[in-house]
Amino acid sequence: MEHPILFISVILQALGLPVPHTLVGETLLAKLVSPHLTYTWLVMAFLIIMPKLTLGKLELVPNGKQNFWEVAVGGLETYMADQMGPERASMMFPMIATFAFYILVSNLMGLMPGFMSPTSNLNITLGMTLIVWVTHHILGLKYHGIKYIKHFTGPMVALIPLMLPIEIISNLARILSLSIRLFGNIMAKETLLAILFMLYGAFFGPLPILCLGVLVSVVQTMVFVLLSILYCQGAMEHAH
Amino acid sequence: MSGNHKEWMKLMSVFGTIGIHMCASIFIGVGFGYYLDHKVFNDKTSPWLTLIFLAFGIVAGFKNLYQLSKRKDL
Repeated sequence: MEHPILFISVILQALGLPVPHTLVGETLLAKLVSPHLTYTWLVMAFLIIMPKLTLGKLELVPNGKQNFWEVAVGGLETYMADQMGPERASMMFPMIATFAFYILVSNLMGLMPGFMSPTSNLNITLGMTLIVWVTHHILGLKYHGIKYIKHFTGPMVALIPLMLPIEIISNLARILSLSIRLFGNIMAKETLLAILFMLYGAFFGPLPILCLGVLVSVVQTMVFVLLSILYCQGAMEHAH
Repeated sequence: MSGNHKEWMKLMSVFGTIGIHMCASIFIGVGFGYYLDHKVFNDKTSPWLTLIFLAFGIVAGFKNLYQLSKRKDL
C-alpha cells in the first residue's frame, strides 16, 4: 500500500534522493532514506534535542520542565527498582529507558499527519527484540556461568531430552512474539488510520481510532518494557 | 499510581501475551522441523521431523501456559 504523504520523504525527494516507494529500497542510498529510517533519525533527534532545550541547567528546586522529566525518568526507575532491586535496576536502566522513550515517541508520532511510526516496520522491532534477547542471555551467562543451562533443562535429569527442545523453542518464541506484537499493533493502527482518512477524513472519521491509537501506543510501550524487564530478571534469578 | 493499579497493569500485560506466545511457539517448532526435513536431511525424513517438532512447539506453548498459571509472585 502506498503511504500517505510523509513530509521528510517529500523533502528528500525534492532534494533528488531516491526515496523508495516500497518498504525497503534497492540500493544502499535508497535504504538509507527509506521512511522508517528517516523517521527513526527524527525520533533520535527529538529525544536528543528536546531534553537539551527543556532542561538546560539542572536545579535543586525543579521548575515545570524539569518536573516533567523527573517524573518520567524517575517514575520509570522507581518502577524498575520495584521489579528487580535497585542495583540491577541501575544496571539495566540505560537500555530499558532508551527503549521506553524511543518506542513511546515513535508510536505516538505516527498519530500526526505527515509522520509515520518507525515501529510499524518489522525490521525496527525485530532489531530491538534481538537486542533484548541477546542481552538477557548474556546476563544469564554472566550471573550463572555454565550453570545457566539449568534454566533450559527442566526440573528432572531424566526429562532433559524432552525438556531441552521445548525450552529452546519456548525461548526462541520470545523473539517472534515480542517483535510481532509491537509491529502488528502499530502497523494495524497506521493502516487503519490511512484507510479511514481516505474514506471519510472530511467527517473526522479517524478520530475514534486516533483516541484508541494513543491507548495502543502507551500500552504497547509498557508491554515491551515490562517483558524486557521480566526476561532479564528471569535470566538473572536462579532456575526453578 | 497506587500499588494495586501497578500490579493490575503488570498482570494484564503478562497474561495478555499468552496467546501470541503460544502461536509463536508453534510456528517456531514447525519452522525448525520443516527446515530440518527439507534443507538438512533433503526430504529423506519428511514429514516426520516436521510433525515431531510441531508436537514440541505445541507442548512448549502449553508449558508456558502451565508455568504462568503456577506463578505465585505475579
